[in-house]
Amino acid sequence: MKQFSEVYSHLRRANKKQYALLAGCCFFSVLLITAYVCMMRSPTILNVLPEGGDSRKQVMMIFVLAVIGCGAFTTYAAGLFFRQKSRETGIFLALGAKRGQLKKELMRELALLALVSCGAGALLGGPLAWGLWQIFRVLVVDTEQMSLTFDPKAYGLAAAFSGFVIAVLFFLGSRSIRKTNIMDIVQEARKSEPIRDVPRWCGPVGIGLLAAGGFLGYIMPSVFILVLHWYPPEGLTAVFYLPALAGLYMILLHTVVNGWHRSRHRYRDLIATSMMKFQGRQTVNNMLVMSVLIAGAYFAGFYTPMLGTGAMMSCDSRPVDYAYHYRADQNLPSEQEVRAMAQEYGVTITSWTEIPMARLAVDGYERVETQGPVGITWEEEYREILCSDLFLSESSYNALTGEQLDLLPGRICGIMDATGDGRGIFGGEATLVTNYLTGESYPVTPVETRKHDILFGRFVVDDADYARMTAGLPDSWRETMVFFDVADCEESYDFAKALFNRIVDASGPEVAVVDSWDPVIRDRDMAEKGSYWPEVESFSYDQRNSSYFRLYWQYMPQFRVLDKADFVRTLAVFLILFIFIAIICFAAVIVIAFTRCMTIALTNRQVYEDMRKLGAPNAYLYSSIRGQVSRVFLVPALTGTGLIYGFYAMIMYFNDNRLTLQELAGMGVCLALVAAVSALLYGVYRLTLRSVCRALKISASR
Amino acid sequence: MLTVQNLHKSYQVGKTEYEVLKGVSFQIEKGEFVAVMGPSGSGKTTLLNCISCYIPADSGSIRLDGTQIARLDEDALADVRNRKLGFVFQDFLLLDGLTVRQNILLPAIIGGSVSSAEENRADRLCEVFGICAIRDKYPAEISGGEKQRTAVARALINQPLLILADEPTGNLDSKSSRAVIHSFEQAKTALGATIFMVTHDSFAASFCDRVIILRDGLVWRTLTRGETQRAAFQDRLLDAVREMGKE
Repeated sequence: MKQFSEVYSHLRRANKKQYALLAGCCFFSVLLITAYVCMMRSPTILNVLPEGGDSRKQVMMIFVLAVIGCGAFTTYAAGLFFRQKSRETGIFLALGAKRGQLKKELMRELALLALVSCGAGALLGGPLAWGLWQIFRVLVVDTEQMSLTFDPKAYGLAAAFSGFVIAVLFFLGSRSIRKTNIMDIVQEARKSEPIRDVPRWCGPVGIGLLAAGGFLGYIMPSVFILVLHWYPPEGLTAVFYLPALAGLYMILLHTVVNGWHRSRHRYRDLIATSMMKFQGRQTVNNMLVMSVLIAGAYFAGFYTPMLGTGAMMSCDSRPVDYAYHYRADQNLPSEQEVRAMAQEYGVTITSWTEIPMARLAVDGYERVETQGPVGITWEEEYREILCSDLFLSESSYNALTGEQLDLLPGRICGIMDATGDGRGIFGGEATLVTNYLTGESYPVTPVETRKHDILFGRFVVDDADYARMTAGLPDSWRETMVFFDVADCEESYDFAKALFNRIVDASGPEVAVVDSWDPVIRDRDMAEKGSYWPEVESFSYDQRNSSYFRLYWQYMPQFRVLDKADFVRTLAVFLILFIFIAIICFAAVIVIAFTRCMTIALTNRQVYEDMRKLGAPNAYLYSSIRGQVSRVFLVPALTGTGLIYGFYAMIMYFNDNRLTLQELAGMGVCLALVAAVSALLYGVYRLTLRSVCRALKISASR
Repeated sequence: MLTVQNLHKSYQVGKTEYEVLKGVSFQIEKGEFVAVMGPSGSGKTTLLNCISCYIPADSGSIRLDGTQIARLDEDALADVRNRKLGFVFQDFLLLDGLTVRQNILLPAIIGGSVSSAEENRADRLCEVFGICAIRDKYPAEISGGEKQRTAVARALINQPLLILADEPTGNLDSKSSRAVIHSFEQAKTALGATIFMVTHDSFAASFCDRVIILRDGLVWRTLTRGETQRAAFQDRLLDAVREMGKE
């Protein structure tokens, strides 16, 4: 060993654990982010998630959290690495090495480390995403929609993150060499991470800020839109969540520094408490990142149980087994044909009700949007003909529902969904009904709405009014609604599938439209704008099994057995995507927690050695290290889980100012998920504790 | 060799300024073994750090072999530290990933490539300081005294003008301390080294040719050993310390 570069590489070999830790952190960060971004930008996903829709926003929001988490974690790992390396740097400088000489060697070393770790992470991120997806396809569900393709542009984002990681490494490396005072560098490895005294009110105030931030962040967009009639930029609404982040930090700080209760075993826990306190800043930063990632993971993880439980309960609560409607000008199978088909499949139809409906225009208020200097604002403008809705006569309604609704002439009754979730889509009120083809208008008075999941969005009027209002309408403005029950619904899947295919096959191209397609709005938009957005995307009957078709076809039948059995297939891409995101976030949490705990072991090795020399028994040392490791896992797990569970409950509650049975059931299933994930995290905690004990030569038992 | 004149250094802690060195002046000749003693807070380590240029002095001059070292730029200062100064620290500051011999050779490697001359010198230093048997061991495998003797050998590898030692026996037991002090004596007699040592240990200081006693940032007294026996010189040092305590 005659050259300085040989000394450097010799020391690298001697300190390979430190290098491996940093390289591992960079590798995992880039791997997880690349896998996430490959999935997020995959055409398979983008084709399913509607552009501008909530799902895409949620995926992006969790991506931002993951990037912040992995970025902060990598920065921390790099900071730790250079802090440990600073002793070496200080000794070199003290012995007369030039900064330029050290910088050259360090940069060469970092370039190699960054290239290998980030390159491997970026290279394997795609295969990881693909591999996980294929596992889901084999173990959970496989549909033709799930054929995964990647967009090469996704690697641009992955490369940007890798660039950030490399930039952090070089910046911190360069800074560690640049520090002027050699004595500071020499002593830096032995410095603790002190935090200032934290007043005890920090915890309660943190909880207040957390609750206020969560509430404000959720409510303010509605305040802007509904009260100020202004669509604010998304960045502005996100600002209102910041108090929640500050609150979370204060809670964690208070937990680490003060604790929530004065321990009865103050002196017994003195060492563990003090260690946590004096590594406070980094511990709290790590816990914050972990809490946010756990919250993001659960936010994604709750998607499937909430949607699934809600959908299943909604299917179960339907008043009829089979329901479908079709335009009167379509040549759909008659009752006899359906009964014959049922017989063919060994299904007994126990009831059949078929009633006419008609499409009439209604009045209402339209939101007229204006692009101004502060963004888009809106004003309500009354239109006598706003849109069209389907109308039933009261006798038809009674025939379908078995109710005894008796409306006076001139009265109109809107039908809402059972949960009330659809109030934003359909208000159930109109004061003027117009036969769009004859131009005849009929003033009406709304009465108290009724509830029926399948008939949601329709209006009921008096029989005589119905006849008068719909007179002269052609078949293309009329529809037929069919309800029927079968003897053993659960066993009728094959029949349901065949009937669904028969209905789709019999439907003409003129009814291949999305559920929001409206002939009245279409006419107006074509006249005013020259285009009508629901017609921009064409619907194909060939895609009848796709989630897009099943979710958005206006004439999609509602067959209980089909909807329940095909739920996972229909929403496979959504569900698996969110499960994938949850796995990525939890993986990041596990890596961060493990690294932090191993850091505690590495930095406190001497303290434990000293305590052993002072006569501390193994049980005491074990209890001390367990107290610290458990806190690294427990505090973020409790905080992140509580945070997101509370936030979810708040969203559910404020949807309609109550919690429906479906929502409560969904929250219950989410609790089961929390229990399962907590068990997994407990397993990781035990493994980590064992590794830490091994590193400190403490027997992992009392 | 080394001339320190009217050296001032103060630290700012919050709004309060603490003047640690209030005009220290002294001189060290080639081949001298000089110690600086004094109570805690007297400015011993600050003085050493100023001479090493690890921290800048506020005013005054430090002249090494005729060169004003505080005025040098960073690269020139690095050269001075590498070629003209040798350092021995209280907690050794050996690199754990290098063997004893590699640690000894480190200043030579930093200064450029290592030839067989440096390697031979390292081996000779190992012999002089009695660490031949451990020269292929790592710091974690040797005792505190052996670590410090390794550090002394490292300080001498580039044949510096002056060795600066900061509490070299501070972390050692009496047996190891004696071995380290013996290695300084060896360095002085066998290799002609000039040594400037900060210590609070009167036993270690009693081996020196001269002891500068600092009090409150000023040179309080300088004691020269001359022909005095070591034990008698230690008694003189202890008397001086007692006297300082009474004042």
